[in-house]
Amino acid sequence: MAAPCRRVVSRPVIQFLSSFSRTAVGKTGFRQFSSSSACRVTLQTQDVMERATSPYSLVAAVCLQRLPVISADYKPIEQQFRDMMLQMELEKSVLSDHELRLLEDAERLRRKLADDYDSDEEGSHDDQEIVLAQDLEDSWEQKLKTFQPAPRVRDDLDKNLNSVERCLADSLVLLAEQQVGGEKIWLLPQTQWQEGETLRQTAERALASLPDAFPPTAAGFKATFLGNAPCGVYKYKLPKAARTENSVGTKVFFFKAILSDSSPSTAPNKSIMWLKKSELERYLKPAYFMKVNRFILNL
Amino acid sequence: MSLALSRCLWQVLSRQTASLSLLGENVRSPWFAPVMTLKTSVPLSAEPKKKKRVDPRRELIMRERLRKKLKKLEKVPPELIPIEDFITSTKCLDEARTRSAAKLSFEESEGRALLLKEWCRYKQEQHMAEVQAIESALEAQREALEELRIVSEELYQAALKPDPLLFPFTHEGPVHTPPQAKYEAPEGKYNDITKVYTQ
Repeated sequence: MAAPCRRVVSRPVIQFLSSFSRTAVGKTGFRQFSSSSACRVTLQTQDVMERATSPYSLVAAVCLQRLPVISADYKPIEQQFRDMMLQMELEKSVLSDHELRLLEDAERLRRKLADDYDSDEEGSHDDQEIVLAQDLEDSWEQKLKTFQPAPRVRDDLDKNLNSVERCLADSLVLLAEQQVGGEKIWLLPQTQWQEGETLRQTAERALASLPDAFPPTAAGFKATFLGNAPCGVYKYKLPKAARTENSVGTKVFFFKAILSDSSPSTAPNKSIMWLKKSELERYLKPAYFMKVNRFILNL
Repeated sequence: MSLALSRCLWQVLSRQTASLSLLGENVRSPWFAPVMTLKTSVPLSAEPKKKKRVDPRRELIMRERLRKKLKKLEKVPPELIPIEDFITSTKCLDEARTRSAAKLSFEESEGRALLLKEWCRYKQEQHMAEVQAIESALEAQREALEELRIVSEELYQAALKPDPLLFPFTHEGPVHTPPQAKYEAPEGKYNDITKVYTQ
């Protein structure tokens, strides 16, 4: 009884205090976005003073995904269930025309081979006797064997991290090795935002400006961007030595895109990698990976 | 002279008609006998001039009413298109087609029941994982939009706008074997025998 009362009483007190401080200092919109991170307090004072120019520099990155090309293999339980369902459905079904024909042919053959066979009783079945259903089945099997489908799994291509045709059953994400703050690291392709363009255009520029991304003839990576809104954000502060008044850090906004049609004849170059979601952790920085992992769906 | 005579005659006649109207129809004067009989018979009691004006209108009204009744009768609701999947064709009910039902052993039926339960559990885990993944992706997007709003309002507004060029979006789904580089499909023709219904 006492505890809820205290809570009820304290809430309006807190609201009163916060409203008092709000009107006193002049911060209007930022209390709503307050979270538990400590650096926000210093950030808010700065944001109030430089409302139009944020101290964070803006960068847009693109998360280009190649969706799976072939269906994934069955897991053991899926295989078991599949077999069981096929069996159950077979038991519950009725005989099809083809099966009836097989049975009739077998019956006729049996009667033919029996000793007391009278061909006059059969009537005129001459045209049907020539082609048995079994012969049809055999001819179909032969036709199927002449067709050679492309192999589903190619180990040599799977191991080549730079090729877009590896691991056809999974969805792959494009990573590029770019220079950030003096060192080369693997990350989603990104570029700096320029005045007068939306962040999505920056992301498109980032995709287009990948080194050797496209051969001189074709247009390279044809990607469909999914909407104008970013799907994730990663912000980091520059080390204290590099911090100035205007640039405390960088905010990287990610945009999702789906690879629609890539010309496979491009020579795979070493500066880009196509990775499955499970392999991303090895190549990305830990904090970056944590943010990026959330919006990369492996469905 | 003739004018005065006609006036006198007129006065006499009017007096007669007045007396007639006062006394009723039974009074028959020798002057007006044939006229009276003419006036009292029923079919001739209507004035011929008015009949001509009303009749064409009445006929038109009658014809329109008949037409409306005919239209109402002709308004049959359109025949429903049969859903062929829901109709069991009589070919399937043929007795000659029944399979000999194989009897399942006890272990087999037990195994099937257990496998169904495992499958149910597996699918539930899959679904939960999917839902969580989608939720975390949505959360990431919400945070990104928040941060963008803090940075600049106009970029935020530009991000919120829908993209008209995105839809219709098509993508070929996964197939069983990867496409071959130089494959020539064999030519063949087929007869399309799907039934097309019109309402």
